[in-house]
Amino acid sequence: MSILANKDTRAVIIGGIAGLNAAKRMAQFDFLVNRPLTVQAFVYPPEEGQQKEIYRGGELNNVTVYGSLEHAIAENPQINTALIYIGASRAFQSAKEALDAKGIKLVTMITEGVPEKDAKALRKYALEQGKIFNGPSSIGIMTAGECRLGVIGGEFKNLKLCNLYRPGSFGVITKSGGLSNEAMWLCAQNGDGITSAVAIGGDAYPGTDFVTYLQMFENDPETKAVVIIGEVGGTLEEEAAEWFGQEKRRIKLIASIGGTCQDVLPQGMKFGHAGAKEGKKGLGSARSKINALREAGAIVPDTFGGLSKAIKQVYLELQASGVIKPEPELDEKLLPVLPPSVQEIMKQGEVIVEPLIRTTISDDRGEEPRYVGYAASELCEKGYGIEDVIGLLWNKKLPSKEESEIIKRIIMISADHGPAVSGAFGSIIAACAGIDLPQAVSAGMTMIGPRFGGAVTNAGKYFKYGVKEYPNDIPGFLNWMKENVGPVPGIGHRVKSVKNPDKRVKYLVEYVTKQTTLHSPCLKYALEVEKVTTAKKDNLILNVDGTIGCILVDLDFPEYSLNGFFVLARTIGMIGHWIDQNNQNARLIRLYDYLINYAVKEEREVPEKK
Amino acid sequence: MAKILEGPAMKLFNKWGIPVPNYVVIMDPDRLAQLGEANKWLRESKLVVKAHEAIGGRYKLGLVKLGLNLDGALEAAKEMIGREIGTSVVRQVIVAEMLDHDEEYYLSIAGNRDGSELLLSNKGGVDIEENWDTVKRLFIPLDETPSIERITEVAIDAGFIGEIAERVAKIASRLILCFDNEDAQSIEINPLVIRKSDMRFAALDAVMNVDWDARFRHADWDFKPVSEIGRPFTEAEQQIMDIDARIKGSVKLVEVPGGDIALLTAGGGASVFYSDAVVARGGSIANYAEYSGDPPDWAVEALTETICRLPHIRHIIVGGAIANFTDVKATFSGIINGFRESKSKGYLENVKIWVRRGGPNENQGLAAMKKLQEEGFDIHVYDRSMPMTDIVDLALNS
Repeated sequence: MSILANKDTRAVIIGGIAGLNAAKRMAQFDFLVNRPLTVQAFVYPPEEGQQKEIYRGGELNNVTVYGSLEHAIAENPQINTALIYIGASRAFQSAKEALDAKGIKLVTMITEGVPEKDAKALRKYALEQGKIFNGPSSIGIMTAGECRLGVIGGEFKNLKLCNLYRPGSFGVITKSGGLSNEAMWLCAQNGDGITSAVAIGGDAYPGTDFVTYLQMFENDPETKAVVIIGEVGGTLEEEAAEWFGQEKRRIKLIASIGGTCQDVLPQGMKFGHAGAKEGKKGLGSARSKINALREAGAIVPDTFGGLSKAIKQVYLELQASGVIKPEPELDEKLLPVLPPSVQEIMKQGEVIVEPLIRTTISDDRGEEPRYVGYAASELCEKGYGIEDVIGLLWNKKLPSKEESEIIKRIIMISADHGPAVSGAFGSIIAACAGIDLPQAVSAGMTMIGPRFGGAVTNAGKYFKYGVKEYPNDIPGFLNWMKENVGPVPGIGHRVKSVKNPDKRVKYLVEYVTKQTTLHSPCLKYALEVEKVTTAKKDNLILNVDGTIGCILVDLDFPEYSLNGFFVLARTIGMIGHWIDQNNQNARLIRLYDYLINYAVKEEREVPEKK
Repeated sequence: MAKILEGPAMKLFNKWGIPVPNYVVIMDPDRLAQLGEANKWLRESKLVVKAHEAIGGRYKLGLVKLGLNLDGALEAAKEMIGREIGTSVVRQVIVAEMLDHDEEYYLSIAGNRDGSELLLSNKGGVDIEENWDTVKRLFIPLDETPSIERITEVAIDAGFIGEIAERVAKIASRLILCFDNEDAQSIEINPLVIRKSDMRFAALDAVMNVDWDARFRHADWDFKPVSEIGRPFTEAEQQIMDIDARIKGSVKLVEVPGGDIALLTAGGGASVFYSDAVVARGGSIANYAEYSGDPPDWAVEALTETICRLPHIRHIIVGGAIANFTDVKATFSGIINGFRESKSKGYLENVKIWVRRGGPNENQGLAAMKKLQEEGFDIHVYDRSMPMTDIVDLALNS
């Protein structure tokens, strides 16, 4: 037996993410006591039609989110309880709808900060309908072994520690949510646990009161004693005392009242729950409540810590008088164990899972990212630069000072080449069409290929091949290229020639060969090749792709990484062009007719379709 | 509960047709001179100047000056604005018209569980407490509005005669409207007077509490509630309130000067019991604090640092019940960081820390807290098997 919630309770949760979390906790309890899912539906218009995944132990359930309570109940007529988890501004309307719903007998609300006027009106409305409105600010209702409404009881482990898998003999009524859990624990530790526990919330005007539930507990034969935890403010505790003193009650009453400290605090200094406010002339003071309860025959220890002893004492007395039969010991090992998640088992090393991907360069599991083991901030602190990060992430090696300097210069030199080239132009057209940065830059990026900027990799690859296979035989190499590949990647320029050299190439070659000690066999080989090709045709010079490719091979970067340098460098330029166009508020552009040769058919009539 | 100052309360009175004297709220005395040029009543009436702040006992502190002309009011305003009273500073004054009157009446309304109660007395003024037995009451059930006739009956019962009773009833009915529509919790008009010159009613003082939780439906509430703790908030309290307004869950702080036992407690219910336990055992608390609703660790860390800076503390009680959903490990990591930070700044010397807590991830949280012993903290950690407030006994007996 129990009050408020039992095996037959079927609930709808009105609200979003907080409600979903509560439903998950509730399903853990359902699993513990082996009952069907308590939560049958959600109502949350923004997510109408979605399914929420709820695990009852290892069993996955999908619970539907409805756009209206009406719809939820029409499809789930078994629902008899509503939990309100929606924001304070909409809580009143939701609760009222729930109280209007025919099958719903109990509405409990966790929402905090509900206006007093709304709470008062809901209480009145529920009374008129002969229903229970519990809350606002209620953590929920727990009936041991039968039903959990809300997150009351906390984590799964705690449900077991508090013996909530089977009924005890104590009822619990608290204003505070945290203390409802504490009280359940005290009843388990010092007695045989609870029948039901209910948090009525700490607001000034809760929908229910101690007396409502005391009467229910009095009528519940399994409940032998009730623990109430109240606090300064209002008169609900005084009313409980009055009820208890009115006539001989079957249940024992143990109480603790918070707020005695306010007697000694400076006038007007108030804190705690919204309802914890003493009225004029000591009305609702903790002291007056304690006195009233003691006079009515309740046991009220002088501090909260004294509750343990009080509960134990009542429990032993009830046992001695035979009211409570000794509980047969239950082997806790027989209780179900919540299936752990994969992550948890992995942590304990009890299962092997084939990894989906492998990484050898980067690790984000610590406090900050580590590149091939080095903490990013430490690299910054020790004076490393972006070139070194490239060396680490692309080649897993920290370059030397000289090497990083070369990498840096390659990137600087390749960062942009004006608006006319395919990449920049692509980005500019996109920017002018109002496309956002990542997409516009990608538009430029898609241009990088065999004819534009994409020759670095192949240049590096084939010159490296030449160094290896035709070290002293340039004609042999060119012959092999002609037969197997075609034009040599990295050789040739549309505009530049021997007489009109590419300054970038000149600069890079001079820098690497004259100002550094880099061993550069590939670059030197390419320059030898250039001598042969330019002898044939003036514009068959070593171009910038070829130069960069060779230098990077000499720097020991893997062949297939080489295009990355151009991609990286040119991204800087393309982002710049996108920003530039946006700064100028550039308009949509289209080609002028005179830039197009319309080599098309004359106008003619469309024939009838056959 | 949110108390609002006289100025905003009078503005709401005006809105609902409750007569008030002419008044202005100013921050700068020069503004009063300009207003004087624009408003005849400022030049021609006797004036009262009051500090427009949440400071108790203003009269005794010289923060209320009566019977002034405009020059006198200007002088008084200059004198009051910028004055420091304890930890607070007078920033605004309200300058109102003084009304020549004979009788002072009392009119108030306050909410209760089933509706509200209207209180009326024809013996208002400063002695109302002594004349409390003259107060007549009218219970107004939720969603009901009493007729003018009904209120008039109560007014007559309270000693108002003839036309005055009817007029008082009319003002009371507007007060009820204001109360209902402005989500008020209580409104007190003391005194309500009749101006001799034209026999018109006016509310000379307004004490009003509104339900701050209802602010979402009051677009015209352009005021902030004043401190509910009988004094303006301290800087530290204000900081914690600012954090509280930004986060999921909540953190709260009230300083209690002179105490030596600091509270760093969890949950609205449990925190009060910890304060009680300290007081019951003869100790004195240095603050009230509360974190609840699974607040982020950084917010708890900020609260911790603030508490560690409280002067003259000897113990810190890190107490709490067995949480339902507040993550003990996460919130404790905030507390631990706060402790470390404070210690590195030289706080927490000779301070004993007492911990008792349960809830999600309690084992990890408590273990991490216990490890602080290795860093030289004088910290005593207990789990759920320790009765909740018994760490207070341990602290006070140590």
